[in-house]
Amino acid sequence: MLTPPFVLHRPKSVEEACAIAAHLASEGRPFDWVAGGTDLLPNYKWHLNPKGDVISLAHVDGADALASDRIGCMARLHDVATSEVVHPLLAAAAAKVASSLIRRSATIGGNLCLDTRCFWYNQSEDWRRSIEWCHKADCGTGADCRVIPNQNTLCVATYQGDMAAAFMALGAEVELVGPNGERRMPLEDFFELDGMKKNVLQPGEFLLSVHLSEDATSRVGAYHKLRVRETWDFPEAGIAASWIPGDAGSLRVASTGLESIPGLHADLVDAHEDWTEKEGRKRLSKALQKAIKPVNNTVLPPRYRRSMVSVLASRALRAIMQED
Amino acid sequence: MSGGYRQQPGGAGGGVRKDGKRVAGKLRFTPPGAGGSRPVSDPRNLDGIPESVGGNEPQPAGHHVHDRLRTGTTVGQATALVDANAKITGQAWYGDDVRLPNEIIGRILRSPHHYARIRSIDTSAAEAMPGVLAVATGEDAPKTFGVLPVTKDEHAMAVEKVRHVGDLVACVAAVDEATAMEALGAIVVDYEELDPEFDPRKGLEDVDEPIHWRGKYHVGRTNVQKRVHQAFGDRSNIENAAASSRRAWRFEGVHHGFTEPHAVVAHWDANGRLQLYTPQQVPHYTHRALATVLDVPMHQINVIRTFVGGGFGGKSDPFPHEMCAAILARKSGRPVRITFDREEVYWINRGRHPSYIEVKLDADEDGRVAGLDVDALIDGGAFASFGHVTSYYNGVLATAPYELGSFHYTGARVWTNKPASGAMRGHGAVNTRCAVEVGLDDIAEQLAVDPIDLRLANLLPPHSRTISGFRITSNGMREALRRVREESGWDQKFRNMPLGKGIGIGCGFFISGSGLPIHWDPNRFPHATVHIQVDMDGGVTVHTGAADIGQGSTTAVAQVVSEVLALPLDMIHVRSHESDTSPVDLGSYSSRVTFMNCNAAIRAAMEIRESLLNAAWDMLGYHPTTLVMVDRRIVYKHDPSVGVSYLQALHKAQEDKGALIARGAYRSPPMGGVHKGAAAGLAPAYSFSAYVAEVDVDVETGLVKCTRVWAAHDCGKALNPLAVEGQIIGSCHMGLGQVLSERMTYGRTGHLQNANLLQYQIPSVHEMPHVTPIIVESSDPEGPFGAKEAGEGPLLPILPAVCNAVYDAIGVRPSSLPLSPDVVWGDIQKRMKSEGVEDPLDLESPRLTHGPLQEKLASRAEEHYGRDHARQRTEDTSPYVNGVLFGFDPTRPIDEQLEGWAAIDDPDPESMAEMGYAGRAWLKQEQRHMEGDD
Amino acid sequence: MVGEARVPMLPHAPKTVWKADVNDRAVAVLAPSNAVLLDVLRDNVGQLGVKRGCDLGTCGCCAVLVDGQPRLSCMTLAGDVEGCAITTVEGLADGHHLAPIQTCFAEHGGSQCGFCTPGFLISAQALLVQTSSPTLAEVNEAIEGNLCRCTGFQPIVESVMAAAALLRGEGEAPEPPTHPHADPHPSGPDEPQLPPGHAR
Repeated sequence: MLTPPFVLHRPKSVEEACAIAAHLASEGRPFDWVAGGTDLLPNYKWHLNPKGDVISLAHVDGADALASDRIGCMARLHDVATSEVVHPLLAAAAAKVASSLIRRSATIGGNLCLDTRCFWYNQSEDWRRSIEWCHKADCGTGADCRVIPNQNTLCVATYQGDMAAAFMALGAEVELVGPNGERRMPLEDFFELDGMKKNVLQPGEFLLSVHLSEDATSRVGAYHKLRVRETWDFPEAGIAASWIPGDAGSLRVASTGLESIPGLHADLVDAHEDWTEKEGRKRLSKALQKAIKPVNNTVLPPRYRRSMVSVLASRALRAIMQED
Repeated sequence: MSGGYRQQPGGAGGGVRKDGKRVAGKLRFTPPGAGGSRPVSDPRNLDGIPESVGGNEPQPAGHHVHDRLRTGTTVGQATALVDANAKITGQAWYGDDVRLPNEIIGRILRSPHHYARIRSIDTSAAEAMPGVLAVATGEDAPKTFGVLPVTKDEHAMAVEKVRHVGDLVACVAAVDEATAMEALGAIVVDYEELDPEFDPRKGLEDVDEPIHWRGKYHVGRTNVQKRVHQAFGDRSNIENAAASSRRAWRFEGVHHGFTEPHAVVAHWDANGRLQLYTPQQVPHYTHRALATVLDVPMHQINVIRTFVGGGFGGKSDPFPHEMCAAILARKSGRPVRITFDREEVYWINRGRHPSYIEVKLDADEDGRVAGLDVDALIDGGAFASFGHVTSYYNGVLATAPYELGSFHYTGARVWTNKPASGAMRGHGAVNTRCAVEVGLDDIAEQLAVDPIDLRLANLLPPHSRTISGFRITSNGMREALRRVREESGWDQKFRNMPLGKGIGIGCGFFISGSGLPIHWDPNRFPHATVHIQVDMDGGVTVHTGAADIGQGSTTAVAQVVSEVLALPLDMIHVRSHESDTSPVDLGSYSSRVTFMNCNAAIRAAMEIRESLLNAAWDMLGYHPTTLVMVDRRIVYKHDPSVGVSYLQALHKAQEDKGALIARGAYRSPPMGGVHKGAAAGLAPAYSFSAYVAEVDVDVETGLVKCTRVWAAHDCGKALNPLAVEGQIIGSCHMGLGQVLSERMTYGRTGHLQNANLLQYQIPSVHEMPHVTPIIVESSDPEGPFGAKEAGEGPLLPILPAVCNAVYDAIGVRPSSLPLSPDVVWGDIQKRMKSEGVEDPLDLESPRLTHGPLQEKLASRAEEHYGRDHARQRTEDTSPYVNGVLFGFDPTRPIDEQLEGWAAIDDPDPESMAEMGYAGRAWLKQEQRHMEGDD
Repeated sequence: MVGEARVPMLPHAPKTVWKADVNDRAVAVLAPSNAVLLDVLRDNVGQLGVKRGCDLGTCGCCAVLVDGQPRLSCMTLAGDVEGCAITTVEGLADGHHLAPIQTCFAEHGGSQCGFCTPGFLISAQALLVQTSSPTLAEVNEAIEGNLCRCTGFQPIVESVMAAAALLRGEGEAPEPPTHPHADPHPSGPDEPQLPPGHAR
């Protein structure tokens, strides 16, 4: 499978990366960032929104930082999974991503910026021609959405990154840089509820690193992932939870693999402060299930995935209380 | 270029290093003259020589006609594949690894429509593009082909109509792949879309535009491609059934999932002959089809089989892309290479048929299987492929290993606008077998007996005949069941495990080589032929058309020759890649290679052996009956110090005539009945297997994990136990895929949603249970050294074993595959609702209290154990046919003894339509009966 | 009626000289800017032992070692690994000496059709370089990105374990002892020298 032609740029520093981005923007040349390539290359081979220029972050100095309070975008998931300095929840979540071979290439930045997925979208060009195109991939054709037909504005492709839920549960912040400088925000604010737009990155901007506060280190967390095989598969549903043991109010619960963006469920958690009790936990799990509405575009049917939210949530909650 | 793995000259001292590394080449060759690579002749290995001829190898199943040929050299010993070195060093050459000088790249334009008429194709823009060297369309090859001579319904590229998304429309060859892809985009095709059909059940209805038209044989105006009906036995047996199980199954289609995508290289050489390189299981079919489609005689085509990166049935049809490559190469005058993307592999498909199968089992008060009714509607996709045969196999391969009071089968295969289904490992037998074995579990539950005892009390013995007339020779079913029962600790575990943990049993029965060569009369031309050539150097060249697809057929053929001639394996060189040099052979399908090619190879080797022994007779003065072949020596039986070396005998035998050349052939014996379809399912021998599987079911999520499998397979005689165990474990893996997660998912629009290896979920190493392979050796009287197949049969039992274990774990009996977690979870929810249980963890596991029948079955099983043992060892040679268990005299024709016991040829459409979907296919008439004359 | 969304494949991306150390040999080939490592290794460098199975990162047939780390070459941009040391299956052997992992795959049935074998060998080799006493879980994890359709994985796991044992020096003696200078002609000492046809 060939990717469409593109020019690969390999900056050695953040400044150089921004300069290349600014230069391409000034010439009106659209481009993509690439980190490990495990998401971008399959998409390009399928001819999904390829660009004429690609800027690789692989050689950007310091982008692969791996510390307890800061993880660079180029940190490989394999290194995160086997690291002794990162939070155990992050190591555990990273170890559940795809396969060991993919984790050697795949990165934290790439996982957080993962393209949304849909079985009408992640297909070859020939395949999409047979459904008269997909409106996420083939803009300009006037194609309809196949998941929710008769509308061509909203994209409901599913975000299936594992790391986002774990990071959110730990209260992580992301650092974005671009030609216009850098900015920081809580990870939950990074995502934008649209399968096409995906996140708040502006043209020319990229996710440089993820930051964790002091608070995160005292947290106990768990990530439960629903998948058919214990390797390769994207999460059909994923729930991460963490708390500071003894402080019921410190609970954070995040979900992924269920909707177009991962979600932090702060309001629901606040409404169920009795979650440390069995009944309260059950109510919270059910409330989470109710709040999440998957659609039919992944391997398993949405009704089932939704039902699994409460199972995964109550398991994650029990796990962080270290009850079993 | 890598360093290569050259033979080390005079390497007698080298080879093994302290660090465990080993020299790759053939080791420590001795100076010229000795033959072989080991410097000294090995003593006779008595452990590899059967008891019957004075060795130490035990023969519980009795002696064998080939025993006298055993030399203890390799047969029965775990043997690394003879082509393993090529594979572990990256030198094995698969389809896409054939790179000829001056090659260009071919790509295929595929239909974006499910079903459409082609109004016109304009290739002019593509042809005008720089770098494009040839463009072809259906007009370039109007002749039809197909794997079966009776159903040739394929074209190299679409003529008139496209029949599924991905159907071939045109092809392009260009200087590189990007240019070829660009050129495809420049081809303008004008389609008129037609109404597509995806649901095989609707294929039974009359439509305006059937997907194919069979003229006067067309069934109504439906999409029925083939319908089948067979009935045997006495229907009255089921009237007073003590237990009855009826279950309508839905099996999703599954794909072979071989790791190597299809690839082909075509080249017309300087003499105008076509050299076609392709990873084929059956190069001969491709050879025939190429000749037809290209309008070139077969002798002007050389089909070269590359290494095959997995086949499993998926590389046994002649394929349109093979024609395309040849056509493009002819047009451009350059070698053309076409390699598929993984998606295209799914478009060409030929996987297991998506099926609707209804199975009804009845047992009488004695726990005998009074009736087995099968109705199978199978979804053939857009082309016939092997479907004609599959239609039969779905029923007839269920007629053993149990003795049946009656058997009733209706089958139908319909065309739909999906990629064509075809043959896949366990061809046609897998789905029905699963339904039958699950039904038996249900019957056992109703009768309150142990399901293994139920099976043991109903087995056909060795040397018997099934209800449909198949000739059973060796039969290790009983031993397989007993072994898995014992090794798995079945009696302690069954119906005794906690909620979520379960154990289940399943059996299998499969052909060891299809008895009927599709293209010729088996009485006039052999199934398999092997040529052997031995020249002065002593090396033995074996020419065979057996296509090694990784199962180790080359190794098996080399082994039997090595065994007969008492030569080390590295002196045997198997040449099986080219049709120019290999004798006509049907290749690797229907698990025929071990049985047929090895038999042919033994016969050829016997001829060489005879020449050598005669030469030794000349030299030693001892008659060949008193001579023994030992490692590269022929010695006098009573004094091994008297003898000649192999080379001495060989050179003596070559006097005046040069190289020794021999050939051997295998032809199956006459078999089978005379009813319609009697040939389907006939085989010179059958394999039997019994598996016990243990599962863990997560009752909250429905995830099923198979944790342990005990897998007993009767392969007659394991020529290479390493390969047999590999086949057993590999079959477990493939079967587990179908039972747990694999499916070709056609969405509501009929598009294949998961044409990639990420979403087509083949189990990973984590999903693989620990498998204990158990080899049962029943020593088949006609098999090479007693061997039967081990490549397909071992797949069958794993599906029902897992289904039955799931029932044992959660009390829910599946009726569709795969058991994906959402399906199992749904079933658990239904059970909870019906029992008013809130929490799935509060469900109760099924338990068993033996009923009064248990004792009776156990004692019948014990009695039959003695019967079978005597028959297996041919101590009892009395005739036995299906029906004896129901009181018939095997020496008289059954229909003379009991009214109603008969083969029913004349179907009654009304009653058949009650059977299930396939039965309804008989409500329509063929065109020839519809108009005018009656 | 919707439009057509074909992505143009021409003109080619600009080509540059791509350099790396492949199996201990410096190579320099002309490759397009967008080249994927798998394509460069197969089509330009000629390492046909690197296999293309799915081209999308699932089958693992294309795995190679990049600076000692196993990588899916189908998911690696050639440009990103320029100048790296790349080992393919062809580079596992030490000259004419097979690596223990190769020998064990042959002898324990770890390879049937052989198409996935190069990828498995690479994954296993990467593990064995780290540890010669891997646990079952470590072996499973190391090969979880490789797909084998023939063997059912079990013989592969056994092969890796056997290779580890060899590396620890615990393996069974690889071959029976030989006597290189023993009589090269395997014939008995008292062979009667009868003239041809004499006894008959």
